[in-house]
Amino acid sequence: MRALERFPATRIVATPAALDAFAWPKGALVLRTAPDEALALTAEKISFAGDEHAIVERDDGFTGAWVPAKEALAFLERACEWEPPAVRPTFAQGAVAGLPAKLFFEAERVLFLVPAPYAADLQERLT
Amino acid sequence: MSKPASRIIFEGRPVDFAPGETVLAALLKAGRAPTPGGCVCMGGDCPHCVATVDGVAYVRTCQTLAKPGMVVEPHPLKDHPPLLAPGATSQHTAARNIHCDVVVIGQGSSGRKAADEARAAGKRVVTLEAADGQEAVGVYPGPLVVARASDGMWHLHPKESIVVATGAAEIQPVAPGNGLRGIYTPRAAERLAAGGIEFGKLVAVGAPPKNVACEKVDGELVRFEGRERIEAVVVKTAKGEERFACDTVCVNLGLQPRNMLWRMGRELPIDVRVVGDAARESDLPPCPTAGTLCTCAGVEVSDLESVFARGFRELELVKRATLAGTGTCQGGVCVPHIRSFLKAMGERLQDPFTARPVARQLTIGEISAGAWHTATPRTALDGEHRRLGAQMERLGGWWRPWTYGNTLEEYWAVREGVSLCDVSTLGKMLVRGPDAEDLLERLYPTKISTLKTGRCRYVLLLDDRGYVMDDGMVTRDGPNRFALTFTSGGSTHAELWVRDWAEAWKLDVRLLNQTQSLGAINVTGPHATKLLQRAGLAEPPAYLAQTIADVAHVRCRVFRLSFTGEVSYELHHSAADSVKLWRTLMDLGEDLGIKPHGLEALLKLRLEKGHIVVGQDTDFDSTPRRINHEWAVKLDKAAFVGRDAILRTNKVAPDRQLVGLEAEGPPPREGAVVWNGKDYAGYVTSCTFSPVLGKTVMLAWVRMVDGALPETVTVNGREAKRVKTPFYDPEGLRARA
Repeated sequence: MRALERFPATRIVATPAALDAFAWPKGALVLRTAPDEALALTAEKISFAGDEHAIVERDDGFTGAWVPAKEALAFLERACEWEPPAVRPTFAQGAVAGLPAKLFFEAERVLFLVPAPYAADLQERLT
Repeated sequence: MSKPASRIIFEGRPVDFAPGETVLAALLKAGRAPTPGGCVCMGGDCPHCVATVDGVAYVRTCQTLAKPGMVVEPHPLKDHPPLLAPGATSQHTAARNIHCDVVVIGQGSSGRKAADEARAAGKRVVTLEAADGQEAVGVYPGPLVVARASDGMWHLHPKESIVVATGAAEIQPVAPGNGLRGIYTPRAAERLAAGGIEFGKLVAVGAPPKNVACEKVDGELVRFEGRERIEAVVVKTAKGEERFACDTVCVNLGLQPRNMLWRMGRELPIDVRVVGDAARESDLPPCPTAGTLCTCAGVEVSDLESVFARGFRELELVKRATLAGTGTCQGGVCVPHIRSFLKAMGERLQDPFTARPVARQLTIGEISAGAWHTATPRTALDGEHRRLGAQMERLGGWWRPWTYGNTLEEYWAVREGVSLCDVSTLGKMLVRGPDAEDLLERLYPTKISTLKTGRCRYVLLLDDRGYVMDDGMVTRDGPNRFALTFTSGGSTHAELWVRDWAEAWKLDVRLLNQTQSLGAINVTGPHATKLLQRAGLAEPPAYLAQTIADVAHVRCRVFRLSFTGEVSYELHHSAADSVKLWRTLMDLGEDLGIKPHGLEALLKLRLEKGHIVVGQDTDFDSTPRRINHEWAVKLDKAAFVGRDAILRTNKVAPDRQLVGLEAEGPPPREGAVVWNGKDYAGYVTSCTFSPVLGKTVMLAWVRMVDGALPETVTVNGREAKRVKTPFYDPEGLRARA
């Protein structure tokens, strides 16, 4: 069984322009999950600026694991009907193994992230 | 010592085979056959070699390479083989997703040419060749090409085109005696002869096979003669009917294109084309007059004549009426003959019938390759519930505790002590922005503008026909910020509903779904306030209000609401803290007799209060008036979704109502019919025996008669009295205590 962990994060819903312009803290992995929404994977508190009406909420509701790239791509070949992107690094999201997954592709590894309620299923299906 | 021969097992006895030999070739060389007879094609086009191989039925032995120890059994003569042979185990088959620009099916000369051209144009090309172990079995929207390969199922996702280059199949003879052994198509004879099969005296009707010694006969096939094996063939020649004694006969009736995969995919929105022999016109055999038309479905030419005489004159209708073409070969044998027959009967020459996936029998494992069970989400407390011995059920789209073992104890803990319930499954959404209030004012039938900061309000969510879609709470966090809750089962749809309207109205709002990020625990019972004070909540919110505070050192949004009818607090918090919060509250409440309660107890408690469950107590056409929730609709406010429909339907006299019923004795089943005298009056949507009231309480749909509801009705042969809800604590004093 692959060990999964919760990824501390902050979710920000704001205007696309504000999200585009914001200087994210160093070390935060920022996944742009929608034009008006970002998921910043960091334990650091984010003081978002640029949209006075932005919703900025701490969110510890994502669970996942970094998987070596070769293993990840082999898994995706079995479990993902859409074509994983070729460029690195890049973010993609969609159904993987029947789960709502967010993926971050680096050259040597891939982050698999799902909402924590699906953690048990991800763990079972990644194995 | 000579090297031991490789062997397969056929009907319990060993049969030798040479390397590279198919199962069928090995059997024929040994004088055996997997089926009673029929013309053999060696091309995978007919059903005359199918057998059960290693427990899998309907395997084409002419396309299956023999392997040492392979167990081959003929299918039963009557009925079908079992889907899974005795002793065989169901195997999951892996799926590979392969993304490309072009898929070329078939690697004959046309297929190779098409693949080379695509590669030269810089395309990513995947080729499939059945002889190499990649057998395309279906073309689906997507587009998706599914192939069976030696390492599992391939799911090919071509972006630009699918090229079908599967060649042409030989037309099989349909004539009396065509079920005998020893009949071959020319290509089959060539392949088997090259493989060392002895034919004895071979008579070839029509163009003969190449490089095979035979007696060539020109003329029209009349019939085959013999008992089990062929002994003679009768041909109508220039001299009249002539009988040719033989050991084997080879019949050449021309070719038909193997274009089924093209026909499956030709309407897809990408380039799907057929090339080479697969694109040729089909030859037309002579009109059949007798014999087996379709071995797969056991259809004789006489059946064809019979359905034609009854008016079935379209190929598609003939297929449905006779089942010809619905079996193993999917019309590979019968279609040219049916076309010929219909044409001879004066109909136009008709196209082959619609091709639908799959083109080959697949195992359940192969069909389900790449499919995943629907994942049911689990709350952060799932492990706690299981540790406490809860019976877990899938409810409202989540795994939830139904009971922890003693529903009555759970019930009384709520009514007399304190209890926890995991309500993390509730839909949760934040709305913020200059137009946030405007959005909710337009969406909900209640007044949002009068909702003060820190206060909560029950809301119905209506569709544009005025029917109840969902319900929940709205809480104002500030001038432009609100927290919404939805039902567990309805939250996904409700979220989309809110987003769609916000977009349609072009409102300046930000929306964040927090359903899966936040945990929620309901603390309920007369000692709930005491418990929360022990957990550090110094100032619990008033009824229908909220506060943000630390409870057991966990940051919570604390709502004061009640679904159970007792004092209740809903603690929304980061799901990462759910276990800590739950365990601390359980420890702090030990001397108060705290117990968790599951859904079974909760449904009993809420029914005593007359609270509806949307989807259970409501129908697709439940208006607020029909469910007695007109109090939650403010028609004096400006437009909201469903307002016009409600104004319109309110002009019509009500015809039925969701009502409360009380009865003595045990509760009926939910769904039980309600009778008004001898007339059907409706049905029960929710019912339970109320421990605190000592009687059965129900919600039920009841028809009105002359504008009035009956005072008493009959359910399960017992009288039930219509009463006002709530059944329990109608003044709501306990919840507000």
